[in-house]
Amino acid sequence: MSAITAHKDPKLPPAVQLPEGPDWVNSLTLFDAHVAETLVAVVRTLYPHEGLPERVYRRTVFQFDTMAAKAPGAAQTFAELIDLLDGATSLPFIELTESYRVRALKGIEESTAFRLVQRSAVRFLYDDIEVWQAFGYEGASVQLGGYVNRGFNDLDWLPDPPPGV
Amino acid sequence: MTSYQLDDDGVVVIIGSGAGGGTLANELAQRGIEVVLLEAGKHLTADDFVNDEWGGYEMLSWLDKRTSSGTWRVAKDHPLTPSWSCQVVGGTTTHWSACCYRFIEDELRARTVYGEVPGTSLIDWPITLADLDPYYDLAEAKMGVTRTNGLPGLPANNNFKVMYAGAKALGLNVSTGRHAINSVPYDGRPATIQDGFTITGDKTGSRWSTLNVEIPRGLATGKLELRSSARAVQIEHDGAGKASAVVYVDAAGVTHRQKARAVVLAGNCVESSRLLLHSKSGRFPDGLANGYGHVGRHYLRHLIQTVWSVFDKPVHMHRGEIMGGMIDDFVRHDPARGFAGGYYIEMNSMGLPTTAAFMDPGWWGRDFASVIEQYANMAGIFMSGEDMPQAGNRVTLTDEVDAYGVPVANIHYDDHPNDLKMRVHGYKTLTSIHKAAGAKRSVEAPAYPASHNLGSNRMSARPEDGVLDGNARAWEVPNLFIADGSNFATGGACNPTLTIVALAIRQADFIAGQMSAGEL
Repeated sequence: MSAITAHKDPKLPPAVQLPEGPDWVNSLTLFDAHVAETLVAVVRTLYPHEGLPERVYRRTVFQFDTMAAKAPGAAQTFAELIDLLDGATSLPFIELTESYRVRALKGIEESTAFRLVQRSAVRFLYDDIEVWQAFGYEGASVQLGGYVNRGFNDLDWLPDPPPGV
Repeated sequence: MTSYQLDDDGVVVIIGSGAGGGTLANELAQRGIEVVLLEAGKHLTADDFVNDEWGGYEMLSWLDKRTSSGTWRVAKDHPLTPSWSCQVVGGTTTHWSACCYRFIEDELRARTVYGEVPGTSLIDWPITLADLDPYYDLAEAKMGVTRTNGLPGLPANNNFKVMYAGAKALGLNVSTGRHAINSVPYDGRPATIQDGFTITGDKTGSRWSTLNVEIPRGLATGKLELRSSARAVQIEHDGAGKASAVVYVDAAGVTHRQKARAVVLAGNCVESSRLLLHSKSGRFPDGLANGYGHVGRHYLRHLIQTVWSVFDKPVHMHRGEIMGGMIDDFVRHDPARGFAGGYYIEMNSMGLPTTAAFMDPGWWGRDFASVIEQYANMAGIFMSGEDMPQAGNRVTLTDEVDAYGVPVANIHYDDHPNDLKMRVHGYKTLTSIHKAAGAKRSVEAPAYPASHNLGSNRMSARPEDGVLDGNARAWEVPNLFIADGSNFATGGACNPTLTIVALAIRQADFIAGQMSAGEL
């Protein structure tokens, strides 16, 4: 993609570092491995970006776990989602291939559980700095002097408007 | 620091420190009037703000629960956050994108110019453009609005180059517009560094806000006391039916009662209507100033929508000021278009996090993914149009109470057929502009939570048509005023802040005049 470098505001905490491999689930407070891996599969089915590594989706589920640990209502809703999806066919959701996963998710689209997970997935996945980097969003800039000298008007494939327009 | 006693009944108490309340506080203090300014949120500084969309949203927004109903899509997409304003010193001026356009004469005479539109509660404003123009001049000067007072416009950025190319190809009148953002240093504030985060609080001070301009200047007079983290919960009146005190809760949870010579509500539409409705008494059984039943009604939120388009090559729309583009060809009422009122086209950009969240809430799957992963090649264009007032579109109180014992507000909004016609016209125009610039694909994004909240305590020429007279003073309570967008008689098309500020300066003149004359 483009030659950009993404930055989070320096006042914000850095992105969580999860272990590579199946041990990542040990970083979670509430979710067990089945719930966590099922949620990773859900988020990947909702927002399938071939170029993004598994750790990005895992970090999103880590955020779900943090939400659930803080709010019992949210924890219950995540549990409901897993029950709905595992009950949708004779196989657990995690065992399904993409077309069946999509069908299972479409079947529960109107549920509160789906809504919470879908909205939370958007909220956290696209706020991940590795996703920003991959899709060309540079993020925080004030600590670098903004974009005034860093390309705020560098588009060169259309004619420049006249000065003062 | 100036400090007034709670039993000092000589002070004007203003509730809310945003565009209306913060400006009015300073304007009154400059005229020697003693003011207590109550703000529910914290007093943050530029150093507290972050260049981060969600971080800024969570830091600044009024996040208390609300509910919603009606046919508007917001009720489905954002049922518990249908309206967006800020809870922080400076109010929503800490967040805004700084577009500064004036109402046109026809918009202030909407009922006369548009004629009867079935199902609406259209009225004319009780004031004219001639009444407002001198105050628009003052507002533009104090805010440092570009393209006024010799100030240059904002420079064209990448997203604007796309908008410009498309608009020119279609023969439209396009410029970078007018903004309360410094294109050059002005009034002790620096020029923009194009950081792209004007809506998460302004870290450099290049944009006008009441936080960085009005409130410090008001405090410097020695006449203004600011109380932050002070949540107003009730307005009281005396035996003569005049507002006499504001009950509020401080950060420690302690309840206080500040006596008042006059009270001004400036808490944005939802909170101002909610406080009036909640301030019931034997004399005002349906809420303060609500004898004709208009408090909370005729709620407006503008026809806001964005088109996001994908191009073959990079745009990097996140770089630079976010709304520096404007087309005014569709502002004037034109019956030939088949709908009443008009709309502004403006540039819009968002970062990846909020573009993903608001492009089409609920959209998921491979199609969505294929669009959002081309973020670097996306451009945005937006419209703000006039929605039709309807008596049933309103703020009401629910049976649920919040932590302060005040009922949670519900916002009901049904789309009017005129709104649909204008939305369709707008989407076609926005898309055609991007197509003319070479867009591969355009996505019609729906409205996000309402940020142009207007009209729910409207001014009117006759007491039976609204809540307030032409000075935004309550018809029924002679020392009670409103200084936020809820006082608009109709919405017009343009972003409302400039008009809120102009009305607040005008109101300061009126209040000072009344006080000098011994009438208030």
